[in-house]
Amino acid sequence: MSWILLLLRISFRNIFSSFLNVIVGVIILAATFFFVVGGSLVNSMDKTMSKSIIDSVAGHAQVYEASSKDKPALFDNWQIPDLDPIPDFSKIKGPLLSDPNVKAVVPEGINTAIVVYGNTIDQILEKLRKAESPGTRQPKAVIDSLKAHVRQMISVVQTDMEKHNKIGAAGSVDPQSIQDLQRAASPAFWAGFDADPLNHLEFLENKIAYLVPDSDQIFLSYVGTDLDAFAKSFDRLQVVDGQMVPSGHRGMLLSKYVYETMFKLKSAHRLDQIHEAVTEKRQKIAKNPDLQDLVRQNRQQTREIVLQLDPLSSQKAVSILQTTLGSKETDLPKLLAAFFDTDDSNFEARYKVFYGQLAPLLELYRMKPGDTLTIKTYTKSGYVEAVNVRIYGTFQFKGLEKSSMAGSLSLMDLMSFRDLYGYVTPEKIAETKSLEKEAGVKFVSRDQAEADLFGGSSSTVEQAKQKPINDAAELGGAKVKRVDLASQTYTQDQIEKGVVMGAAVILKDPAQLKQTMKEIQAISDKDNLGLKVIDWQESTGFVGQFVNLTKLVLFFASFIIFVVMLVIINNAVVMATLQRIREIGTLRAIGARRFFVLAMVLTETMVLGWFFGTLGSVLGSGMVILLGHTGLAAPNDWFYFFFSGPKLFPWLNAGSLVGAFIVVVIVTCISALYPAWMATRVSPIQAIAAED
Amino acid sequence: MPKNDEGSAIVSIQDVVKEYHLDKVVVPALQGVSLTVTQGDFLSIVGPSGSGKTTLLNLIGCVDTATRGTVLVDGHDTKNLSDRQLTDLRLHTLGFIFQSFNLVPVLSVAQNVEFPLLLQRKLTSGERAQRVEELLEKVGLDKHSKHRPSELSGGQRQRVAIARALVTRPKIVLADEPTANLDSVTGENIIDLMKEMNKQEKTTFIFSTHDAKVMSHANSVIRLADGRIADSKAKAGAH
Repeated sequence: MSWILLLLRISFRNIFSSFLNVIVGVIILAATFFFVVGGSLVNSMDKTMSKSIIDSVAGHAQVYEASSKDKPALFDNWQIPDLDPIPDFSKIKGPLLSDPNVKAVVPEGINTAIVVYGNTIDQILEKLRKAESPGTRQPKAVIDSLKAHVRQMISVVQTDMEKHNKIGAAGSVDPQSIQDLQRAASPAFWAGFDADPLNHLEFLENKIAYLVPDSDQIFLSYVGTDLDAFAKSFDRLQVVDGQMVPSGHRGMLLSKYVYETMFKLKSAHRLDQIHEAVTEKRQKIAKNPDLQDLVRQNRQQTREIVLQLDPLSSQKAVSILQTTLGSKETDLPKLLAAFFDTDDSNFEARYKVFYGQLAPLLELYRMKPGDTLTIKTYTKSGYVEAVNVRIYGTFQFKGLEKSSMAGSLSLMDLMSFRDLYGYVTPEKIAETKSLEKEAGVKFVSRDQAEADLFGGSSSTVEQAKQKPINDAAELGGAKVKRVDLASQTYTQDQIEKGVVMGAAVILKDPAQLKQTMKEIQAISDKDNLGLKVIDWQESTGFVGQFVNLTKLVLFFASFIIFVVMLVIINNAVVMATLQRIREIGTLRAIGARRFFVLAMVLTETMVLGWFFGTLGSVLGSGMVILLGHTGLAAPNDWFYFFFSGPKLFPWLNAGSLVGAFIVVVIVTCISALYPAWMATRVSPIQAIAAED
Repeated sequence: MPKNDEGSAIVSIQDVVKEYHLDKVVVPALQGVSLTVTQGDFLSIVGPSGSGKTTLLNLIGCVDTATRGTVLVDGHDTKNLSDRQLTDLRLHTLGFIFQSFNLVPVLSVAQNVEFPLLLQRKLTSGERAQRVEELLEKVGLDKHSKHRPSELSGGQRQRVAIARALVTRPKIVLADEPTANLDSVTGENIIDLMKEMNKQEKTTFIFSTHDAKVMSHANSVIRLADGRIADSKAKAGAH
């Protein structure tokens, strides 16, 4: 045994004996450091990201109809997976809840809708039409103000159009449009307006409104769910503006992130972005091209504001801007352009003026809590469905406020969701039946269809007679009234008895996920529920795979590091061995066996690995602990989601620590195998040969 | 058959030829050397560079084997031994002193001396310590046992090497130009020390040198020239 001690003694004393050993040591140290820090970071991110995913929509597991072609893809907003519906949620809820580890089962389905916005001019014209209509007539002052606003918009568009006509190729602007605008701008047109408001309005609506280019389409991804159950199960949910959808009502909560990015006045949103970058991230406009781009867009795209302002507000805005800028300019677009031309010195002041003085004149959001949105979707079979849904407010997930990923989904009640997905709800059946009856629809069998529809003596097809539409007469005096969906309430039973696309399963003990998933599958098989269970990671498509991706990257990087380590250490130890030929030859001459020499080289390298590996582990652990205190800032909003907040506070992971150490020592030993074998081939003659 | 009593042959070499192959050229280093070394001899091998001194020592030292002829070391025919058997023969029967001392730099004086004993794995740590102390005292370095070789002078280092060579109580100590890296006074002291050990321990010493002064201490001198023994004489007064 004492010869082993001797080997260790030699090894320890040799650690710093040569420059080559120091090189090997530094490599080992760096590699261990990298593995400890990298491993802990990936591990921590794995945990925070799964928290983000689990807490925001996914739950711990998702169940869906086993016959589906795809599986749920919760954050993949580009493609809605092809899922078969679960016919009756109430039939699966009970059995799933019977598992002792299941805390809640929340129905969920994802869909994407298109929300189309009318022009500002459409909205003003509608107000004007109402103000002029009997019954909703408004005082003359209101009408005059609305008219003035329309005239102002026309003049803005007319100016644009003329500019366009000048620089564009001949014929790029429809001459008819120019004529129409000239007519709408003419004092004569407005002089005759009051005499025949409806005809004038029709002209404006048909010929002018479409020329005002500020309409927009918004793509909206949403989760259709039992909102009460959702809010209870995902307790990071916070209502920011407005209120929660009342129990049993139809309604939507918009994601705050979507509300800010899609529904807010674009100029204001850009100011917010610059403000955040300048104050929170301490960036400088002068140094950041992205911020400069935002400033440029604000400078150039002032129309949204100009169109919103009626003449009175315009005047106010002009005077605010003149004071702020110390300018005598009277043209609002020019003043706005100058106002938005901000730099690091004046940005904060302008930001204050905007929100303090200009914002009260403007509608900052296209839509406010309480408004109703028309949500339009395409059903699976390609039909368009549209439902009016009241927006009750906005929400965010606590800690994930700034994540576009967590904020990509809005929430919708299950009833509206079913309507939009094209499901037949009891109301729909009733509505269809009454429409069939009222319209006198006949049943046409498939065999008879051709004869019935196109045959000469068909009684099925009638020539429509042109006549004015009279709802009451036409529908036989039936009580045609729009069902006010917003005020309709549903019992929990009604909500749950119906189709859902899937459900999130929330567990009491997340550590038992795999086991519980097996149990749920067993329950489904036993009760013939026809469900499939996948875990949160599988249900979130690419996002869920991200950690696997980072693990793969880390693994790949590790592999490269191993190869590099192997090559460098091998070379260094070979060189060190060559330098020690005399010493090794001497040992062989005085009676050391080959095995002793082999053991000596291996022990020395192992001790190097152990020594510097420990050092690297300690430094790496220190780094992780330090980062655990200071936090690692998320570089962009994707990482915001992966970090489950603005910063990742990594913690030391015993697995990474021990694993890194062991792997490094093993790789070091492998690198030393060849030089160790080489050392055994050193002949004792080489000790005796004279030094030359 | 080992012969241990003084005066009998400890090394016996018969018609040894040693050839080295350098590329396609055969370089003869020894061309038919026969020699007998008796137990307790203090033998000097002399000759110009390239005469085959080192080759002869390598063959006796069991670090190399002959191309032709027989080399018997303590009764073992080295041609028939495996690498491991040769190693063990070196460990138990032979001691080495090198021209450039060849101490393990990271070990202390005492640890260097103890090294062969550890390889032998025969003695307990107490016995080893005693043996090391004894030898360091004999070579006059008992006060330096904790020093590293780098802290010693050349002569002191060679004394450590002598102690290391003798610590296993070998029958033969081989020394290749032991004084070549030392000044003449120190060199002579080293030879005196070797001579003393030769007398006290009855250890056979075989050393190569080209220093006439050193040569004069030898009991027997073998003169090599061109791989052959040119002259061999036992000095008067030996034994």
